[in-house]
Amino acid sequence: MKPSWAGLLLLIAVIVVLALLPMLVNNYWLRIATGALMWAGLACSWNMLGGYAGYINFGHSAFFGLGAYVTALLMGDRLAWPFFATLPAGIVVTALFAIIIGAPTLRLRGAYFAIATWAFAEVLIQFASVMDFTGGIGGIGLPPFLDERFFYFAMFGAAALTYLITWALFERSRFGLKVKALRDHEPAAEAIGINTSLVKLQTFVLSAVTASVFGAIFAYWVTFINPKSVFGGDITDQMVVMVLLGGLGSLWGPALGGVALFVVNRIIWMYWGDTAFYIAILGAAIVLVVLFLPNGIAGLFSRRVAVSGAVLDKAVGNLVGGGPGRPS
Amino acid sequence: MSAAEGKTAGTGEPILVVRELHCHFGGIKAVNGVSLDVGRREIAGLIGPNGSGKSTLFNLISGTVTPDRGQIRFDGHEIGGRKAHAIARLGLARTFQIPAMFDNMSVTENLLAAAAEGHWQGARERAADTLALLKLEHVADNRASDLSGGQQKLLEFGRVVMRQASLILLDEVTAGVHPSIRRIIVDAIARLRERGTTVLVIEHDMEMVRNVCDRIIVMDAGRVVATGPFNDIVRNSEVMQTYLGRPQ
Repeated sequence: MKPSWAGLLLLIAVIVVLALLPMLVNNYWLRIATGALMWAGLACSWNMLGGYAGYINFGHSAFFGLGAYVTALLMGDRLAWPFFATLPAGIVVTALFAIIIGAPTLRLRGAYFAIATWAFAEVLIQFASVMDFTGGIGGIGLPPFLDERFFYFAMFGAAALTYLITWALFERSRFGLKVKALRDHEPAAEAIGINTSLVKLQTFVLSAVTASVFGAIFAYWVTFINPKSVFGGDITDQMVVMVLLGGLGSLWGPALGGVALFVVNRIIWMYWGDTAFYIAILGAAIVLVVLFLPNGIAGLFSRRVAVSGAVLDKAVGNLVGGGPGRPS
Repeated sequence: MSAAEGKTAGTGEPILVVRELHCHFGGIKAVNGVSLDVGRREIAGLIGPNGSGKSTLFNLISGTVTPDRGQIRFDGHEIGGRKAHAIARLGLARTFQIPAMFDNMSVTENLLAAAAEGHWQGARERAADTLALLKLEHVADNRASDLSGGQQKLLEFGRVVMRQASLILLDEVTAGVHPSIRRIIVDAIARLRERGTTVLVIEHDMEMVRNVCDRIIVMDAGRVVATGPFNDIVRNSEVMQTYLGRPQ
């Protein structure tokens, strides 16, 4: 892809505005911006496997929750680790889980893979709900740290790093070519020497650990977590819809979808409070995107991301039974 | 020693040796005791009626399907049952009967992907050369799924060229394409031979088989029934009966 000066200038402008935002808005709006950055980053982490590799993961919240719980447990009264020391620990724990879960489940495709990953997240909810050391269903608290700017910049840094990694690995390297090749035709990718099992697992682990970092920051930010609040299926659902809305398999689509849906969520919350109305909005968004916006919001601005419509077709086709779900 | 063993038009030790290879799907014996050799730098044609096991044999050699039993030796390595990517890394490349495109990637990206594992250095230059060789420069930035059927055949062939393999398996690479595209592929195969590549090609176009191949291997019902130069094959009564359907 040829470099676009307009695109580069826009990117610099966005970074400058985001860097200066804490000086421009009050804490209320800063919290909303922090949440928007978190969802943009989470959507991007889901898109690594779902968009670039074509494996629809309905258990991604498991890794968000693992990061949150590792940080919460290590920062608790008994261990009292500093926050930044918990991040690598969360990454290691999440990577181990991702390898253990990914190695067998990535042999499945389509709906079979989606169900297996969803089941994994459900197992973790049940596990965290019954174990004493996780605080059971009542949850677990973290030491409060009430500095909105810290959490804003932590989410900003994590999101920026996630997008940088995605750009460098999936859009600008051999690794990205391998991932996209296996998404489009796995036997043909194998036939050109790509170890598809390994590349899928690497992508799965990368996708998982980035979600785990957001989980860790989230836990410290909200100072209290319980199984539903970090492992809940609605977290993954939102990531999926954000990516579909923004543009599956595109770099910036997840950011656009993440910010757009989170802002809608906050507006609904402002007017109607904590209501299930947002769930209906999510459902409607899925239907509308599949029917009328297969390339997502990003597809409206760039011919290149028109690719995501075809990726969406394939992903949906695989999920509803067209794809080979048997072991590959 | 069966008809297919030992006699190759290539030089030195055969690059591909297959012995007593078996593969069945349910009750169907798709490959039923195939033995054959392919010599180095040889261009061998594999012909036979539909369902005779040619494509399954390719799938077995390239690791896409695991054999029930038998031996496959490629360039000194025993490859029977190995993973497809591991076999590809040893220097074997293939095309599929139905073009296997990376649909959402551009034509250039399709070619680069073929070099992503292995010979990456100079890949962009090689991709440009391959585009020129196959006359695909004008669609270099197009999505693979937007290409015509013939162009997709060319692109898949281009990926094989990019692999710089020592043995290439071509599965009906000219089937259903315009004569101008067939000519491009035939010329490219000749270029591959010049650089020392061995080619095993499944083909139904007898004109192409006669013009391109040093030797023909005929399969029927999962077995090799004849092998030899084209002129001998067309005089073989068993081949005439099973493949062309008219007894002499």
